[in-house]
Amino acid sequence: MSQPQTINSDLTQASEQVFNRVKNAGAEADLIIIAAESLSLKASDGELEEQTVSNTQSFGVRVIKDDHIGIAYSEASDEESLQWMVDQALQNATFSDPEPHERILDSQQSLVSDDSVFFPEDPATVDQQIDMVLELEQGLLKKPLIKNVPYNGVSDIANSRYLFSSAGLSAASRQRMVYAYAYALAEDGEKNAMEGTGQMNRLTHQLNVAELVESVASASLDLLDGAPIPSKHYDVIFDRECQIELFGVFSMVLSGKAAKEGINPWREKLGGVVADRRLNLTDMPLLMDGFGYALFDDEGTATANTPMIVEGKLNTMMHNSVTADHFGLTTTGHASRGARSTMGVGSHQLVIDTGTASAAELYAGEYLEITSMAGLHSGANAISGDFSLGVSGFLCRDGKRVQPVRGVTVAGNFYKMLNQIQCIGDQSFWNWQRSSLMPSIRFADLAISGE
Amino acid sequence: MLNPATAQSVIDHALSLGADFAELFVEKHLTSSLNTISEKVKSVDSGIDFGIGLRIVFGGKVLYGYTNQTDAEGLMRIASNLAARDKRDRMHEGVAFDFSVMTDRHPSKIVLSKDAAIDSKVEYLLKADAVARAVSDSITQTRGYCNQREQAIEIFNSEGLHTSDTRNYIRAGLTSIASDGTEQATGGWNDGGLLGWELNGSMDADFTGEEASRQALVNLSAKPCPSGRMPVVIGNGFGGVIFHEACGHLLETTSVAKKASVFHDQMGEMIASSVVNAVDDGLMNNEWGSINIDDEGMPTQRTQLIKDGKLTNFLVDRIGSEKTGYPRSGSGRRQSYRFAPASRMRNTFIEAGDSDMDEMIASIDKGIYASHMGGGSVQPGTGEFNFAVTEGYYVENGKIQYPVKAATLISTGPAVLKEISMVGKDFALACGMCGSVSGAIPTTVGQPALKVDDILVGGNA
Repeated sequence: MSQPQTINSDLTQASEQVFNRVKNAGAEADLIIIAAESLSLKASDGELEEQTVSNTQSFGVRVIKDDHIGIAYSEASDEESLQWMVDQALQNATFSDPEPHERILDSQQSLVSDDSVFFPEDPATVDQQIDMVLELEQGLLKKPLIKNVPYNGVSDIANSRYLFSSAGLSAASRQRMVYAYAYALAEDGEKNAMEGTGQMNRLTHQLNVAELVESVASASLDLLDGAPIPSKHYDVIFDRECQIELFGVFSMVLSGKAAKEGINPWREKLGGVVADRRLNLTDMPLLMDGFGYALFDDEGTATANTPMIVEGKLNTMMHNSVTADHFGLTTTGHASRGARSTMGVGSHQLVIDTGTASAAELYAGEYLEITSMAGLHSGANAISGDFSLGVSGFLCRDGKRVQPVRGVTVAGNFYKMLNQIQCIGDQSFWNWQRSSLMPSIRFADLAISGE
Repeated sequence: MLNPATAQSVIDHALSLGADFAELFVEKHLTSSLNTISEKVKSVDSGIDFGIGLRIVFGGKVLYGYTNQTDAEGLMRIASNLAARDKRDRMHEGVAFDFSVMTDRHPSKIVLSKDAAIDSKVEYLLKADAVARAVSDSITQTRGYCNQREQAIEIFNSEGLHTSDTRNYIRAGLTSIASDGTEQATGGWNDGGLLGWELNGSMDADFTGEEASRQALVNLSAKPCPSGRMPVVIGNGFGGVIFHEACGHLLETTSVAKKASVFHDQMGEMIASSVVNAVDDGLMNNEWGSINIDDEGMPTQRTQLIKDGKLTNFLVDRIGSEKTGYPRSGSGRRQSYRFAPASRMRNTFIEAGDSDMDEMIASIDKGIYASHMGGGSVQPGTGEFNFAVTEGYYVENGKIQYPVKAATLISTGPAVLKEISMVGKDFALACGMCGSVSGAIPTTVGQPALKVDDILVGGNA
């Protein structure tokens, strides 16, 4: 790429030290180094309430010796700590069962992401960012019925990820992100509501606080009069945030690792129909507008667009070299590993193709627009596909919100729901964290429990 | 872990910038994680977290920085950067450290720094797996884990506090996956505590395996859950998550001080049915949510939150105390040096009552018995909560009828506390992880079985 970074010589030396010890033990290894700098700001009652700064790095080694895998990590980078880390990984490997498919890839590539795009210099000062969080809180407090903004913030984060291997791989990527968010508590007599959202971008000046104030205020105020609706089956449209969260929770069905381990419910369905034929889902790691951009995965494999579901049929799963080897395939560039974790798979940026439904078709008749979900971490089971969640939103008719809705649940089975698609909108939207790009999808006949 | 002279110089530097209070939290954290899939050892990982958190307070403003570096210059640089906008003349003189030795209420034997005991842990998990898979041919797989940690902390502050503690955490469990060829269902069991691998002595691999598979098979046979408002009996132990979510979070000064809790102005008022007595107790020996000192260096306490339905105490950390005027309760907790402390729960439970389980079930015409609960969440500002039923049964005419799946209970804290009409005798505690502003921390939930007269059940029948 243009604008190659130079990898800090301290990190290169650390990696050499690690690999010398690994090679002396007759093993092979890779080393992930995650470094982060961050600034977080929160406001309360017109004053800066909290300011947090950090500067950290973590080293994580994966050793492979005689088909046995061992993982260890250290947040200390002195020579003694790195030696301890390697020795721990070697010792851990003696306890694990052999994994003949897991190898350090024979790659001597040097991969470096483009700093000019993903790690731009931000001319904003800390004082300007403090002013921004104060403006966000005060802007909301000026709105009628907004009594409090208990959760708000502006954060500026610079992440660096380095990957080295004993085979000679050297890869580096850096990314800067700045985001602002707020949750506002609206009160009107006995009624109250608290909702929120955020914005994320590369540079501080790209955030639009005035727009965020309006979004957060209306999210809370519009739900103040929310009430349950009669229990029955409704057509449902999840808003962009909720829909992407829901797909994220159930993305295990795309995991080659879960298939290898026998728990992926779609493990026997490769090439088969898993969803409505109008559904096309692709992982697009090189889409530069998103914050899931990845030039390489955590084995150092260069990434590429991967069609996962094509016209409703399961085209492929996400694979790293281990799961790919297990199934006699090649890696799809979805290796995922943190400094502390074992090798897994993970998506980068899931994108659903736009459909053909115009707004008039998508929003025709009665449907429930869900704008807030609670309990995703506990009320959704990726193995069975069952979910039951507390939700808020709006009962709509012909595109108009006719009643705010709270105190209801939506329940169903996500895998069956993918075959209950009524239509797919003809426009796509990023979620606020810019991790995924999807059009609105109208799902038919979901069980809503209310009054 | 940090030279006291270094700590003193950093804290003095912060005070010289005009800070009202300065504190260093030093942490060295050993971790070990073992995972199995059926009869195979899938992974063994270990590591060291090490870092220092620096908190500086100017009035009501908290400035926080953290780093992996231990040099005084680097720490002073963080202090200077944090205080750049608030710098003023010195307001307070530093106080020399007076090292205080805490009483260790939670002695541990087989600790990570001495013996990771991997062989013994593997033996336990593989035995539980064998038992689990022997229960039925429908059990297709198990997933076992054993996570152990040893967190050494040292705290210095500008009031002369210097103290330290070492916390040993252990948690082990097994999930069984059942399949009938088309559908899959899961069940699980785990145990843990603030101790070392001597936990092994009180755990039974046979029970763990049998219980995980029993629950998976029940869920495999479960029917869609009826939905709507109805009475629910919530089982003991992890059923206490209802109180944790519905009420506990709303009693933390983290939300009370911001007036983001519906209970912020209700001290001394009846906020629950008169049969409800609730406690948050950090002192219980070797319990998962216990501590010796909180993460601000204060010895922890037992805090009566609700007595006969009346709100009696909040959970209060240092900043919460300054903002609300309530005394600190030894509840300032954080996941690690990466987080400033906040008021958090410890072992939180509803105390035993005098109702029998049979009596509670018999009192229901149409409703649910939620014998095992999963996790949940709460919106502090409004008190709206949800939590998932991981094993539940439909009850009709006072009798349990059939198992149900995919059920969620939703309500608000104030509403559900007033709907508790019967509290059982079968008190039990269970381990959980609680996520909030200061990270994910070990907390215990607990209760006897109790009956909620009216709550919304979300199902897909």
